Amino acid sequence: MGYELQFFYVWQNLDKLGQGLLVSLELTGLANLIGLTAGFAIALMLRARMPVLRLPATALVELFRCTPVLIQVVWFFYCVPILFNLFVDPMVMGVLALGLNLAAFNAEGYRAAIQSVPREQYDACAALGLGGWSRVRHVVLPHALRAALPVLMTNGITIFQQSALVALVAIPDLMYEGKMLATETYRPIETYTVVAAIYFAISAPISLIVQRIEARFDRVQA
Amino acid sequence: MVQDKLLKIHNLHKSYGDLDIFKGLSLAMDRGDRLVIIGPSGGGKSTLLRIVMGLEDITGGDVYLDGKPYILRDGGKTKIDHKLQARVGMVFQHYTLFPHLDILRNLTLAPVKTRGIPRAEAKAMALLERFGLAAKARAYPSQLSGGQKQRVAIARALMLDPDLLLFDEVTSALDPELVAEVEAVMMELADHGMPMMIVTHDMHFARNIASRVVFAAGGVVVEDGPPEQVLDNPQVARTREFVERVFARKK
Amino acid sequence: MHFDPTIPFKYWDALLIGLGTSLRLTLICLAIGIALGFVTSQARRSRLMPVRAVAIFYVELFRGTPVLIQLFWIFYCLPMLIGAEPGNFISAVLSLSLYAGAITSETFRAALKSIPREQYDTCRALGITGLRLAIWVVLPQALLRAIPTLLSNAVALFKESALISAVGMADLMFIGSSIANRTGRPVEMLTAIAIIYFTVAFPLTRIVGRVETRILRRLAV
Repeated sequence: MGYELQFFYVWQNLDKLGQGLLVSLELTGLANLIGLTAGFAIALMLRARMPVLRLPATALVELFRCTPVLIQVVWFFYCVPILFNLFVDPMVMGVLALGLNLAAFNAEGYRAAIQSVPREQYDACAALGLGGWSRVRHVVLPHALRAALPVLMTNGITIFQQSALVALVAIPDLMYEGKMLATETYRPIETYTVVAAIYFAISAPISLIVQRIEARFDRVQA
Repeated sequence: MVQDKLLKIHNLHKSYGDLDIFKGLSLAMDRGDRLVIIGPSGGGKSTLLRIVMGLEDITGGDVYLDGKPYILRDGGKTKIDHKLQARVGMVFQHYTLFPHLDILRNLTLAPVKTRGIPRAEAKAMALLERFGLAAKARAYPSQLSGGQKQRVAIARALMLDPDLLLFDEVTSALDPELVAEVEAVMMELADHGMPMMIVTHDMHFARNIASRVVFAAGGVVVEDGPPEQVLDNPQVARTREFVERVFARKK
Repeated sequence: MHFDPTIPFKYWDALLIGLGTSLRLTLICLAIGIALGFVTSQARRSRLMPVRAVAIFYVELFRGTPVLIQLFWIFYCLPMLIGAEPGNFISAVLSLSLYAGAITSETFRAALKSIPREQYDTCRALGITGLRLAIWVVLPQALLRAIPTLLSNAVALFKESALISAVGMADLMFIGSSIANRTGRPVEMLTAIAIIYFTVAFPLTRIVGRVETRILRRLAV
C-alpha cells in the first residue's frame, strides 16, 4: 500500500493525450455526420411501404443495435478489407463502423419522433390544404426534429464514449494514447484517471444540456 | 346537551404566494348534511375539499371535527390530527385506483395494511355486491369503464367507514352516459344518511342530492342554504348572477 | 480466399463456453446492478445533501466515461490502490455491476417520476403513509414501469460485456477472436460471433416492446 500519486509523467505527455483526443473528436464528429444524415434516410426507409426499402433498413438497424459495438469495429477492421479487397486507412473503417452504428440508433430516434407527430397535425394539414413535401417540410420535420433532438444528442455523446473501442484495433485515439502512456510510464492510475476525466469533461456538459432540453420539453407538454 | 357540529371550518385562510384562495371562510355542517359547494372555477372549491382531507397546508384559521381541533396553525406550521383525518374519506376526479392491484385488493389495501381490520375481504365483497361490481373483484382497474372505476373508488373510500366523505368533481372526467351510474351510487349513500361534501358542476345533480348548497366566491361563503333557495331563489346578488349564468349556459 | 461457413461449427463447443461466460457475467451484474441502481435512485432523493451528491457523482461518472476505461481502471488501477489482486472474474463483475447500477438508477428514477401525484394524495386520504406507501404502492408501480427499460438494460449489458475480452477474460468475444487469429479465418469467425450475439439480443429486444405495451395497458388508469 501507500501508493504515491505522481502526475508528473502525465503532465509531461499531455500533448500525446491531446493528439489522441483530436483523433477521438474527429471520429466522433465524422460518425455523427454519418449518423445524422444516414440515420434520417434509414428512418424514412423504415417507414416506407415498399419492402425493398423497408427490409434492408430494418435488417441494418437490428444488426447494429443487437450486437456489441466492439464486434462491429473489429469486423469492419478485419473483415471488410478481406471481403471487399479494400485496403484503406484504419480511420476510415473506424468512422464507418461507428457512423453506421450511430445511424442505426439515430434512425430509431428519428422514427419514434416522426411517429410522435400527433394525428391532429396531419388532419390540420389536410384541412389547410398542405400536402406532400410542404407538409413534411413545414409541419412534420420541425416537429420530429425537435422531438428527436435529445435522443440524437445523447446518441452522439454515447458514440464519443464508444469511440474508445477503436483503441483495441490500434487507432491512436485518446484511449489508445492513454493505454500506451500507462504502459510506458508504469503509471496506470494517474494516466487512466486523467483520460477518464477528459472523456467525462466532454460528455458531462453535453448530457447536462440534454437534461435541460428534456426538462423544457416536459414543461411545455405539461 | 347540544351536539357538536360534524365539521366546523372557522376563519380559513389559504394563499399561494400573492394569490389568496380563502380570506376567512367559515362553514359548518351537521351529521345529516349533504353539502354541495358551487362557485366560479378557480375559486378554490377543490382546494377546500383537499384542505378538509388534510392534503393542503393552510395559512390561517382552524377546522374542527366533532368539536375537536382537527387542522390548525401552530408555530407557523399546519398541524393535522391524523386520528381525526382517518375519519374523513375522499373520492377524486381521476379515480386514482391503484393500477397494480386488482379491484378487491384496491379495496382491502388500506384497511389491511394500516388498520389491521379483520374480514376486510368479506366487507369489500359486500360493498362491491352493493354497487353491482362483484363480478369485477378480480379484474384490474384498466379493464373497467370510467363509471365502474369511480364506483370502485367510492367503495374503497367506504371501506374505512368514514364519518364524512368528500367528492371532488367525481363525474367531470366521465363520458356523459357513465355519469348516471356514479350519481346513483352517491344517491344511495345519501339515502343511507352518509354525510357528504360535494364539488360538482352538475346543477341538476346538485339539486337532487344536496341538503344544503354553499356558494363560495372571492375566498368566502357568499350564500348558504337549501337548494331551493340558493339555486332557484338566491338572496344575494352575486349568487343570482352566477346561478343565472350557469343555467343560461345549460339552455 | 473463399468463404467457408463450416469453420465456426468446428469450434462450437469453445464458442458455447464463451457464450456461457458472457451470459453468466451479464446475469450476475444485472442482478447486482438492479439492487445497486434501486438504492442509488433512492439516495438521489435523499434529504441529505452529501448522500445525494455521492449518488449523482457516481451515476454521472459511470455514464459519462467509456466502459472500456472503467474496466481498465478497475483491472489495472484498483489492485495497485488496494494492494491486492481481486482476480479477473471479480474485477469484471465489479466493473460491469457498477456500470449497470448507474444506468439502472436512471431507469428507476424515471419510473418513480412517472407515478402520478394523485396516487400519493389518494394514499394520504386512505391513511397509507411512510414505509407502507413505499412498499405497497410506490415500489410495485415503479418496478412495473421499470421492467421494459430493465430488459433493455439487460441487452445493453450483454453487449457491453464483450469488452471484458479486452482484459483477457475468456468470454464469447475473446474466444471467438482468438480462434479467428489462430485459424486466420477472421471473416467466418467474427461473423459467427456477431450472429451469436445477435441471436441472444434480438429476441430480447422484441420482448421489450411486447412487455412495454402490456404493462402500459395495465397501468393506464
